[in-house]
Amino acid sequence: MKKLTTLLLCLLALPALPVAALDGTQILQKVDRNLEPESYEMLRKLINVEPDGKKKEFVLYSVKKGRDKIVALFLAPSSDKGRATLRLGDNMWLYIPEVGKPMRITSLQSVTGGVFNNADILRVDYAAEYNVEATAEEKDQYLLILKAKTAEVAYDKLKMWVDKKVLLPVTIECYAASGMLIKTLRFKDIKDFGGGIKRPATLETDSPLYKDYKSVMLYSQIKKREFPDEVFSLNYLPRVEGLRK
Amino acid sequence: MKLAWRATLLTLAWLPAASVAAEEFSFDATEFEKQPFELGGYLEFKPDRAWLNRDGAFYKLNFYNRATPDTLDRNTGTLKLNGKYTQGIASINLRADVEVRHDNLSSDRIKRFDEAYVSLKFDPGFTLDAGKLALKWGKGYAWSPVGFVERPKDPNDVELAREGYTMLAADFIRNFDGDLKTMAFTPLLLPVGSQVNQDFGKSDHVNVAAKLYFLYQDTDIDFTWLGNGSRTPRFGVDFSRNFSSALEVHGEWARIREVELRSVGPTGVTTTQRGDATSYLLGLRYLTEQDTTLIAEYYRNGTGYQDAQAQDFYRLVDNGVTQFLTTGSDSMLKKALSASQSGYAKPNAMERYLYLRGSQKEPFDIVYFTPSLTLITNLDDHSYSLTPELLYTGITNLDLRLRATWLKGGAGSEFGERQNARKLELMMRYYF
Repeated sequence: MKKLTTLLLCLLALPALPVAALDGTQILQKVDRNLEPESYEMLRKLINVEPDGKKKEFVLYSVKKGRDKIVALFLAPSSDKGRATLRLGDNMWLYIPEVGKPMRITSLQSVTGGVFNNADILRVDYAAEYNVEATAEEKDQYLLILKAKTAEVAYDKLKMWVDKKVLLPVTIECYAASGMLIKTLRFKDIKDFGGGIKRPATLETDSPLYKDYKSVMLYSQIKKREFPDEVFSLNYLPRVEGLRK
Repeated sequence: MKLAWRATLLTLAWLPAASVAAEEFSFDATEFEKQPFELGGYLEFKPDRAWLNRDGAFYKLNFYNRATPDTLDRNTGTLKLNGKYTQGIASINLRADVEVRHDNLSSDRIKRFDEAYVSLKFDPGFTLDAGKLALKWGKGYAWSPVGFVERPKDPNDVELAREGYTMLAADFIRNFDGDLKTMAFTPLLLPVGSQVNQDFGKSDHVNVAAKLYFLYQDTDIDFTWLGNGSRTPRFGVDFSRNFSSALEVHGEWARIREVELRSVGPTGVTTTQRGDATSYLLGLRYLTEQDTTLIAEYYRNGTGYQDAQAQDFYRLVDNGVTQFLTTGSDSMLKKALSASQSGYAKPNAMERYLYLRGSQKEPFDIVYFTPSLTLITNLDDHSYSLTPELLYTGITNLDLRLRATWLKGGAGSEFGERQNARKLELMMRYYF
């Protein structure tokens, strides 16, 4: 009886303790694959909302290959049409047709203004940039504490709450090395995109650094697609439009 | 009845709110389906006022034979039209430029294609382009000494579209795993004749040039080369690398062989020196925690005029003005004008420069508002131009820019001898 009571007490205490049995890295890898296939194309609308409700919208066509190769081409508005951004690991470039040559940009800058920075817009797999430092289990969510692998990564630390059932992120808090909260990402509206891709169709973000401002990303037409490596190069940036079908 | 009325009011009040909530963030991706023909561009209106520097050599040279007001008001209207038609592996690309300028003294019109070429994409790793192309080589922000097959950049407006040259260019790309991630090779043929690329250099040559690009250990590296032909042979190298999420460092180095450096003496006698010249540039871009972007570049122009050569040119202008006032002859001024057009009047035609630019993203919580300050200084004579600028892009497809420029320097200095002492400019650009 005493043994049974001890066992029951241990079982009750389990959720409050760090979850040693859970492999946080595996959870993170599943989160990555549940968010997007490793290689895909998709359309996104990015909306920056000002405190007075005024909005500015951008539409991007993105293609990704592997864990850390991604290209995004601006389709709208007209002022940004034809601009293309490339990310290879920690390297990022912006191509502006008028300027005519790609220039390096950094992850903390933002090609669109608003709360999303380049690291958010050109996001690669979380597991490619972060190590799982700690894992805990809450009521119906896992909490992953992620630490950046290198100093080039935009956020030094992430707190990621993951829905246990579907293994998709619900909320991510992004912190600077100083411990300051930079922004909070909220994933919403799980939608079936077809081809086995079921994931949030909306990503909202706000930041204490941009009080009363909000940015939103809406996802559409996410499809598995394979691309040759050459697509992910500086010389190809002026021709990304040609990938669209 | 009262209750029903209140309920109706509440429902009516709630309905638009519900509709807004539903419509607040919607995305109809079918609006963005690919079209075989695409047309875009912008319409720009730019009024500016220039305060003339009556003591400047370039003012005297340009206005010695006519009366001028203290200020020059100019209106510039520009239409940039971009078109692209894609069919299979081929695409036709056009970038047209139409400009109309009018000021107190004259009117001017420009009609040209900045680019007009056919592109054949045989596979993602091999593309062939034929026609008028604006290739941009180098990693520099304000200058590009390794840009051997392009028209020079204006450091005062680096994002300004430039006219290309007619050429045949190929592009080979290969990607790898490991330290060397990408290699790309861009060879090209650039003919110069009486009907094509006349301003590139000596006529009746088919110039050969190439760029070899590597992304090696997260560093961009380019080797560039232009063979002997319309211009003397030259080769160069550039690099660019992010050292952190906020710091980028870049550089360029170019060696120009057997270049002819022509200078003019105070009496109008032209001297030609022939020799090799080296130009280089080192720069960085840094983003502070306060979202201020700082750009710094040091530029050594190996084909630039030395201070003594510039002084000779300014003396020639002064001598020419004296000759014109005393005899009515402008022969010396015409020599000075010719020398000016062939080199002295080019932007940053001297030897050592520093470019500093600071821009603050969205200060005072005003999104899409970017104030900036740009300094270009001649390190030899310590003259400079200072340009504060306010840019607002908060209205979709409309850019509004207010910019002022002060040119400062003593007598005989580069910016002190310019035609303008200061300038105020408003730019309104609507994209369609």
